[in-house]
Amino acid sequence: MKVLRIIPERCTGCMRCELACSYVQTGTFQPARSVIRVAPFEAHTSYAPYTCPQCAEGWCMTACPVGAITISPVGAKIVLDDQCVGCKLCTIACPYGTIFYNPETQKAFKCDLCGGAPACAEACPTSAIEYVEAETGDWLGVFAATRAARHHEMQVAGAEVG
Amino acid sequence: MRYPVIEESTVRSDDPVRQDLPGGYAGSLLRVDLTSGRIWTQPWTPAEMRQYLGGAGLGAQLLWEEVPAEVGWDHPDNRLILATGPLAGLPVWGTGGLSVVTRGAMTNGATSTQANGFFGACLKYSGFDAIVVQGQASRWVYLSVHDGVAELRDAAFLLGKDTWQTQDALHARHGLPGHQMSVYSIGPAGENLVRFAAIAGDYGHVASKNGCGAVMGAKRLKAVAIARGTKALRAADPQGLFQAADEIAYDLKTNPTAKSLYEYGTLWGVLNLHGQGALPIKNYTTNIPPEGTDLAAWEAPSLRQGFDHRGHQCNACGMHHCHMQVIPTGPHRGELVDEPEYEGWAGAGWAIGCTDPVAISWLNTQVDRACVDVNEFGWVIGWVMECQEKGYLTKEQLGGLELRWGDVEAAARLLHMINQRQGFGTVLAEGVKRAAETVGGPAAACAIYTGKGSSPRGHDHRARWEEMLDTCTGSTGTLETGPPVHPTEFGMPARINPFDPDAVAKNVGTHLGRRHFEDSLGACIFTTRTLMENLCRALSAATGWEYRKEEAMHFGRRTAVLLRAFDLRCGLGPELERPSPRYGSIPVDGPAKGQDVARHWEQMLDVWYETVGYDRKTGRPLPETLRALGLDDLIPVLWGPENRRR
Repeated sequence: MKVLRIIPERCTGCMRCELACSYVQTGTFQPARSVIRVAPFEAHTSYAPYTCPQCAEGWCMTACPVGAITISPVGAKIVLDDQCVGCKLCTIACPYGTIFYNPETQKAFKCDLCGGAPACAEACPTSAIEYVEAETGDWLGVFAATRAARHHEMQVAGAEVG
Repeated sequence: MRYPVIEESTVRSDDPVRQDLPGGYAGSLLRVDLTSGRIWTQPWTPAEMRQYLGGAGLGAQLLWEEVPAEVGWDHPDNRLILATGPLAGLPVWGTGGLSVVTRGAMTNGATSTQANGFFGACLKYSGFDAIVVQGQASRWVYLSVHDGVAELRDAAFLLGKDTWQTQDALHARHGLPGHQMSVYSIGPAGENLVRFAAIAGDYGHVASKNGCGAVMGAKRLKAVAIARGTKALRAADPQGLFQAADEIAYDLKTNPTAKSLYEYGTLWGVLNLHGQGALPIKNYTTNIPPEGTDLAAWEAPSLRQGFDHRGHQCNACGMHHCHMQVIPTGPHRGELVDEPEYEGWAGAGWAIGCTDPVAISWLNTQVDRACVDVNEFGWVIGWVMECQEKGYLTKEQLGGLELRWGDVEAAARLLHMINQRQGFGTVLAEGVKRAAETVGGPAAACAIYTGKGSSPRGHDHRARWEEMLDTCTGSTGTLETGPPVHPTEFGMPARINPFDPDAVAKNVGTHLGRRHFEDSLGACIFTTRTLMENLCRALSAATGWEYRKEEAMHFGRRTAVLLRAFDLRCGLGPELERPSPRYGSIPVDGPAKGQDVARHWEQMLDVWYETVGYDRKTGRPLPETLRALGLDDLIPVLWGPENRRR
C-alpha cells in the first residue's frame, strides 16, 4: 500500500506540512490542529515531521472499545466521529503518539492520508515527505539516535572548550 | 502545490474564526505599557486593515499619530511597534515576517526594519496582528505571549545573555523547543544602549537597522517570546491563495534574479558585486581583493563545501536559503553558527579585510548574538582598522588593542568593548558617524555614513548609485526603495546605465512605495521578488479584497509620505541627504574606478524630488502629492503658517 515515507534528512523545518494538514483537517490555517507534527532535534538545528505510519498492528484500532476506528479504502486507519465516545484509549495505546484528542469535539482524530492525496506530501518543498508504495516503517528512529549522539558530542566538546 | 477542495460539510474547525474580518487577519493589536505594566488589546476595523495593511504601513501610521517631535528615541513615550501582516501564517513562502517600526537611535527618526523566522506566524496564531510597546519598565522584563494571553515577566535571569542564549533560556523556561516558540530579543549591546544595537530572533534573523535594539534596551524590554498559538487563520479564497502562492513559488524558482537566491541564498552576492566594483573592501580604500584571496572559494557552491550544513527555514518557506552550519576548522571548530547572508560576508569580512569564509562565519554569528547591525559593525571596525594603519588612532586609545586588516579575533574583542561600553568602546558604541565626529582630524574623513546618520548596507555604493541615493534620501533608517524587481511593471526599462544620474534617480523615485507595500504583508523581501500582480493576487485571495497593483503603489507612497513627514518633524530635512566624504568618494581602482557620484549628487536629488513629488527645498511632500494620496489632512500640518519660514 502507499504510505507516507518520511526522509528526515531533507526536512528544513519550514512547517509547511503542518499548515497544509491543518487546512484539510479544519478548512483554516491552524497548525495546532495538524495531525503531522514537526519536531526539533539537536536543540534547534534539525527538524523532522512525524505522523501516523498506518502501522500494521493497528494499536489504536485494537484498543478502541466501540469499534470507532476502521480502515479506509486507501488503507488509512480512520476515526468514525459518530461512533467515537472520546475515551482516549486509542491515544494511550498508540506507541507513536500520532493519534490525538480534541477536547472541544470530545473525539479522537488522526491522519487519514487525506483520502489518498496527502496534502503534507504535496506541500513539502524539499520532498521530505513522499506518498509512495512502501512498507510502513519507523522513519525517524535511526535519525533521532544519530542526531542525539551528534548533539551530545558537540555539547561535550563545548564543555571542554568553554 | 494543490490541496484537495474542502467541502463545507467536512470542515471541522472548532475555534471561532472571525468571519466578519478580512481573511488573513487575527483582528487585534496587543498594546503594552511598560511604565504602568498595563496590557490591553485594541481591535481594528476592516476599513483600517485595508488602509494600513500591517507591518510598515500600520507602524508608520501609529508612529505618526503617537510619537511627537519632543519624544526622542530613548524617551519612554517612544513606540516600539512589532508588526506583521495579512500574509503571515498563511501558506505563501516566507511568511513569518516581522516589521519593526520605531523612532530609531541612529537617525533619531523613523525606522522600518524587517526580519523573518516565525515571529509573524506565531503572533497571528496567538491572535494578534501587531504588538505596540510604549513606556519604560522599572526593572528588566520580557513579554510572554501565548494564545491570546500576554504577560510581562521578570527578565533578571536573562540579563547579559546574548540573543541565542536568551532564546535557549526562554525555550527551556517555557518548555517549548524549536519552532514552538519564537523569541526576538536584544543582546548585551541593546542592554547597554549601543546606538546600532539590533533585535534578533529565531537563531539568525535580525531586524538590524537604525538602532531598534537600543530602543528596546531603553525600554528595559529584554525579549518578546511568542508561543505558537492554537488559533486559526482564515483565507477568503483558499484555492485562489494556493494558486497565487504557486505562481510566486514558480517565479522564485525560475526567474533569474530570484533563482540564485532559491539555490544558494545570498552567497552569490560577493562575486556578483565584486564584478561591479560594489563589494566594499577594507573600508572603501580599494576594490581589489587582498593579495592571496582565492576567489574560486567564493563561488556559492564552494562556500557551502566543508561545512556541516543544516536547513533552517522561515515559516512556510520553500526558498531553503537560510542555513545553520558548524565551524569545521580553526580555533572555533565545532561551534554552531548561522550561515552568513551576503551582508555578513561583507560587514564581518570584506569590509574589514577578512576573506576567510570560516573566520567570517564565526564573527558574523558573534555579531548577531551580541546583537548589533552587521553593516554598521563593518563600517565601525573597518574605520578603526584604517585609522590605526594610518596612525590616526593609537594602540593606547584602543586600550592596547591592535587591529590589523582581517583580524577577526581582535574585531571580536573590540565588539565586546563596544557592547560593554568599555574604554574606547564607549565612543564606538555611538556608531561610526558620531565616533568620527568625536575623534575629528583626518580620521573623520575615513568614516562611511549618511548625513541622516543611518548605515549604508554592506555594499560599495560608489558603484551602485541608486542605492546610495536611496539610502541618503530614505526615511526608514536604511535604504527605502531597494533595487527594482520587475521595473517593466512600472514602465521603466529593464536595465539602466548604473552611472547615468538621471536614469538612476528616475528609477529610484519611480519605485518608491513598492518596498513599503512588501514590508506590510508579513512576508520576506526575498519571497516578494515576483510580479506585483502576484503579490496582489495573494493578498486578494487571503483577504477577499480586490487588490491591484495601483492600490498597492498608492498605499506604498502614502506610507512613504507618512515616514517622511515624521522624519521632517524630527528635524531630518533635505540638508542631511548626502553621503559622508568617504561614502561619496571616487573609487581609486576596480571596475568603478574614477566614477564620481558627488559630482552628480545635486542633479540626482533634483530628478528624484521631481519624480516623487516632494519639494526640493524643504523636503516636504507637495500639496498636490498629498491630495493625490488622500492625505489632505497633512497639508495644513506640513504647509501651514508655522512651517512657512522653513
